[in-house]
Amino acid sequence: MSAREAILRRLGGNAGDVADEARALLRAPERPPVDPAALAETFAERLAAPSVAASLERVPVAQQLPAAVARHLAQHVPMPGLYLPPDAWLQALDWRGIALDAAVTVDGGAALAVATAAVAETGSLVLDTSPTAPMLPNFLALHHLVVVRHETLVAHLEDIPAPLEQPRARYWITGVSGTTDIEGQYVRGAHGPRFLHVLLLG
Amino acid sequence: MTAGFKARAAEALADPVLKVAVERTAGTAETKRAAAVAAFEDFEAARTRAAAIKDHVIAHLGHYLEQFEANAIAAGAQVHWAETADAACEIVLDICRRAGAKSVARSKSMLGEEIGLPHALAEAGIERVETDLAEHIIQLAGERPSHIVWPAMHKTREQVSTLFRARHAEPHAEETIAAMAQSARRHLRAAMLGADVGISGANFLLADSGAVCTVTNEGNAELSVVPPRVHIVTAGIEKLVPSMDHAVHLLRMLARSATGATLTQYTTFYTGPKRGADLDGPEEMHIVLIDNGRTKMRDEGLAEMLRCIRCGACMNHCVVFRQIGGHAYGGTYPGPMGAVLTPALDGLAASRDLPQACTMNGKCQEVCPVRIPLPTLLRGWREKSWREGLEPASTRGAVRLWAWAARQPWLYRFGSRLAVRGMRLFGGKWITSMPLASGWTRHRDLPAPQGRTFMEQYRERRR
Ligand code: SF4
Repeated sequence: MSAREAILRRLGGNAGDVADEARALLRAPERPPVDPAALAETFAERLAAPSVAASLERVPVAQQLPAAVARHLAQHVPMPGLYLPPDAWLQALDWRGIALDAAVTVDGGAALAVATAAVAETGSLVLDTSPTAPMLPNFLALHHLVVVRHETLVAHLEDIPAPLEQPRARYWITGVSGTTDIEGQYVRGAHGPRFLHVLLLG
Repeated sequence: MTAGFKARAAEALADPVLKVAVERTAGTAETKRAAAVAAFEDFEAARTRAAAIKDHVIAHLGHYLEQFEANAIAAGAQVHWAETADAACEIVLDICRRAGAKSVARSKSMLGEEIGLPHALAEAGIERVETDLAEHIIQLAGERPSHIVWPAMHKTREQVSTLFRARHAEPHAEETIAAMAQSARRHLRAAMLGADVGISGANFLLADSGAVCTVTNEGNAELSVVPPRVHIVTAGIEKLVPSMDHAVHLLRMLARSATGATLTQYTTFYTGPKRGADLDGPEEMHIVLIDNGRTKMRDEGLAEMLRCIRCGACMNHCVVFRQIGGHAYGGTYPGPMGAVLTPALDGLAASRDLPQACTMNGKCQEVCPVRIPLPTLLRGWREKSWREGLEPASTRGAVRLWAWAARQPWLYRFGSRLAVRGMRLFGGKWITSMPLASGWTRHRDLPAPQGRTFMEQYRERRR
């Protein structure tokens, strides 16, 4: 008998309607209340919480995005070079005036990403991998910049839309790479980003 | 190991540095959790729901495992099953060998420790890079984790500093915790990116999509498993959840109970290997589903323990753990949850002291996000230990004598009257030493009984 069979045999069959029972467990979950009329405000508050500690800039239209990014880099990132993913929508904007890097400068640079959605409840950014969205740059850069479209803001984690096609990885980012492993003291920039900057578009 | 626990606990109690280190981290964790729970309306109801979700999964575990397996395979992952720790290690080593792996990057997982994976990799001559900062510290020190969330909790900053200076090529220049973390960052970065295989655990396995969820503050899981060509997940079979929304509820509970955050910084759902045109990600994803005693626990009265989401709150709030730290427990898992798990994993004969090392103050059960009745489960082990005759003869004799006396009311009353008066001979208000009580009085004083026994007072008042 294989290990699989042995384990499944010990666990035995199931009685009752499993799916109904599972659904019933999700009825009216306890969770922090979020005012649907104030999603952006709640999102901004959550980003400012100490465990997230992200900065936020509101950008009215996409055409102003490169200028906003340029300003942020000039003020906060001493090392030149920004990694832009090969995302058609991003690439169509005018990035002249910003030094672009084909890869993330190890341990110093900045990377930009476009979020699939964002969550007011926690200040989380939802990112999906795809042929135009690699994952690694977002964990290697010291400065992580993320574009969130206002219309993709949702109230709670349960409201994040399921992907049309399952990406290899979907990741929720709720802050920077931090550690409390030495004496419980919080230090930012353990392995990946030390700074997270959100550009809320629209 | 029985004699071992007492010796280790005594050693831990005598170590003033250890107590400072444990207090610093556990104290901070306790404060942060309290704030997070106070800010969450209905936390008590949320705990009940979390327990119900886990109970549902454990009752239908076979169903969910099969559903998860089918979806994971459909997404391109390879699923393996292991009944024992050794079988699990063998599967992992086999995948490593086939991948020609010289080095693996490992993202902290308690299950990996449970099955002895670090040791198995070393025996197979495969270099292991621990990427979690705390695991890196204890790897350098050649030690074992002392806490399930903060494995290096027992180390002070001074000790970490000495370690890094001796072992890092470019150590910190300044004596700050931030500078030490930077030193580790420099040291780990290259090793991590050059690994042939990445190994992670799983916080949750989502049955309806076949996704594996990991949760880290450091982002080290992602950095460990995205660059290598092969990703191996080792997961206990109890990690299943029906769907994303069930995982969401447990994630809310986990972050608040562990660190006091509303959500852990990096929460990632991996579904299969790299797709054709993806720009990064592993070419192979393997998931090893491990029993290692879990089906047996389910059938033998420990099903509630399978609810555990490894948040660490029970140990942070345990008066015994706060005194002796994690190493004294001697098993993979320390604290209250460890005292329940270790007898199941390592055998009761070798660990019968652990369920005894508990004051039954109930604090662990009060903070557990999935309402595990830890004191009740510990009491279960105590009873089993008694039934199986594992208690030493002196204890058995003394308890038998007491039980016999307690059944003779006149004798019992006479005995307690004698004891109350006799004990006063050893001290006025506090007894600092007394025959047969050295186990207590060596570390603290015993209040001397004042006045008479309860029964005497009761009778007097009734009059
Ligand atoms: S037993 Fe409860 S409190 Fe302890 S680690 Fe498990 S889930 Fe957390």
